[in-house]
Amino acid sequence: MGRIFVTGIGVISALGDSVSSNREALKSGKCGISLLEMFSSKYSGQLPCGEIKTDNARLRDRLGETRRGITRTSLLALHAFKEAIADALLGPAELESQDTALIGASTVGGMCLTDELYHDATKDSGGSEYLSSYDCSSAFLDLQQVYKLNGIIDTINTACSSSANAILHGARLIRHGLAKRAIVGGADGLAKFTINGFNALRILSNEPCAPFDQNRKGLNLGEGGAFLVLEEESVAASKKSYAEISGYCNTNDSFHPSSLSETGEGPFLAMKGALASAGLEPSAIGFINAHGTGTENNDEAESRAMLRLFSPPPKFASTKSNTGHTLGASGAMEAIYSLLNLRYQEIYPSLHFSEPIQSTGLKPVLHYQPADLQHVMSNSFGFGGNCTSLIFSTPAS
Amino acid sequence: MIYIHQSSCISPQLSFPVPDLSRLVESSENQMRVVEPGNYAIPASVLRRMGKAVRIGVGAAIPLLKWAPQAAGIVIGTANGGMEDCIRFLNQIIEYDEGMLTPGNFVQSTPNAIASQMSLLNGNNAYNITHVHRGLSFENAVIDIAMLIKDEPSLTYLLGAVDEISTYNFNIDYLGGWYKKESISNLDLYLSGSEGSIAGEGAALFLVNGISRSAIACIDAIHTFHGKKPDLVFDQLRQFLDKYHGHEKNIDLFISGENGDSRLTGYYEEAEKLLAKETGVARFKHMSGEYPTASAIAVWIACDIFQNQSIPEHMLKKAPSAPEMKQILIYNNYKGVQHSFMLVSKV
Repeated sequence: MGRIFVTGIGVISALGDSVSSNREALKSGKCGISLLEMFSSKYSGQLPCGEIKTDNARLRDRLGETRRGITRTSLLALHAFKEAIADALLGPAELESQDTALIGASTVGGMCLTDELYHDATKDSGGSEYLSSYDCSSAFLDLQQVYKLNGIIDTINTACSSSANAILHGARLIRHGLAKRAIVGGADGLAKFTINGFNALRILSNEPCAPFDQNRKGLNLGEGGAFLVLEEESVAASKKSYAEISGYCNTNDSFHPSSLSETGEGPFLAMKGALASAGLEPSAIGFINAHGTGTENNDEAESRAMLRLFSPPPKFASTKSNTGHTLGASGAMEAIYSLLNLRYQEIYPSLHFSEPIQSTGLKPVLHYQPADLQHVMSNSFGFGGNCTSLIFSTPAS
Repeated sequence: MIYIHQSSCISPQLSFPVPDLSRLVESSENQMRVVEPGNYAIPASVLRRMGKAVRIGVGAAIPLLKWAPQAAGIVIGTANGGMEDCIRFLNQIIEYDEGMLTPGNFVQSTPNAIASQMSLLNGNNAYNITHVHRGLSFENAVIDIAMLIKDEPSLTYLLGAVDEISTYNFNIDYLGGWYKKESISNLDLYLSGSEGSIAGEGAALFLVNGISRSAIACIDAIHTFHGKKPDLVFDQLRQFLDKYHGHEKNIDLFISGENGDSRLTGYYEEAEKLLAKETGVARFKHMSGEYPTASAIAVWIACDIFQNQSIPEHMLKKAPSAPEMKQILIYNNYKGVQHSFMLVSKV
């Protein structure tokens, strides 16, 4: 079976609306987390979030999108998708081919319209323009329609690891000959639904998050869209590529519906399985884009899992300190950041860290630095114990 | 090749734990709600926290997980997961004006709560994933499982689909015109001639691997596509049969996803055009109601037909010629956009 390469990427986050603006922000250690202001909520002006300060009207305008019933999650997906396919030089012939799969991921989907949803769910007549837009798949059904996609089309929701699993699933479809190309990624808009959900779990920080810090206070929610174009070796051969997807593994922590086991069994097995599928020793990994949400539970469990598997753990950092936790978009967004690590042979710093967790003593990378990288790992762990690790490798020349 | 060794289904019919499809349970207020078992083999403390989707999904999975507590993969399709919990949490947000809320409903409402609860029951660390692609959620789970089996045919996996009716999704789809405005009984579903269907829900689960010995049935092939033109169905089905089947005559029974919505009948007629005159035609949405993962119930019914070699009279639109049911073709269409074909054969 042939190898699988990433030939195009697209991202929109609180750091910027393109791959290049995201990279510049990461290099300079910019934090995209700021007080919530774009929609009306009790938490507006109070809660720090990785919010994209471009309103829906402006996003629509830039995309030339005039259809009704399009949610913010859809707009973010469309935005990132457009950049990714242009980057991979895909035209209508490639997009409309039965060999092109689309695997999307979202956790909140159209429920970013929390108030509209409440009204449509409870009133007797009328109904808003969003009646068919609330579920997780609506953004990707939009993409199917706009780009007349004809291959396998799917949406995955495994909570915070959703789009890492979209990448994994797309790679498997190619490996099994069910597609030659898979456009994979995810999107989530900020929503009252998720803000209140995470707040009820008491894991939102009232300050910009400090992943892996002893005194971390929790996570910040973010929003965004991120897509990667994966292509089979024969299709990718004549193109530029960012890296090869060389390993992946999905496991379940099987401990608790909304927290990880203390020893990080699921994370440990996911990282171990990804190494095995890539045929790599732990020491081959040059850098880990950690899940690193900034919660008490995740950062300790992830640290313990890294300590168990690696001796010692490689350099690592969490870009959630730049973007907030973008939920359904985060796996793909962080995969893109990992690809930038490889392409430009550089590591971006983790922000807001000052003191290592006492019991683990691990310290993330704190300064921008050039690095000699061949294999980078990206971790995504979610509620329901859904853990996925991915490994990207530079094509051996 | 996906070989089905065990199946389990909680549906609006008498399907659990021992199926009896000859007696048809009637709908009420254009809804077909599941017949839940008197008691579940789930610890009370865990059961109390479960919303309906998680409860019926896990409840139907438990008899299968007894055979495979450490299934090598748990792959679930659900368009919406726990919608009732979702609306409860929404209500909390509105009623308490985003005050201090309790997180239980939020955690239970995430669609992956169903599959993860199945892993949690037995401390299973294996592959676990949830496909949520609306009317093709189950089909994408089938495609996923087919790949797992191709990699490791000797291992056993849990495959299934779950969706629930909630006040939330019923109201939204009602406003969207997907349920009938007039009140009808499921007994008259195919006679109404009006737009919309009746709502349904259910959980259908399968224990599968790549081993044919002692299997009930085999999912030989699957194809999914998106599109609004009815003649797409004709073209795609012809290609599908050419690729996987060879001859229409070998299809003993066609299970149609016809749901009484006058706007969708044309799609099913396109598929029927390609059938040989010997092929029987059966329908099932009067048993399950319409919902995004109803096609999983069709696969479960196919398994029941293979095992018992009898087709409930109320299902038949046209009786098959063959004395023995060996091969079944399922075509389902969700909201006129998402389509799937599955070929299922007796082992």
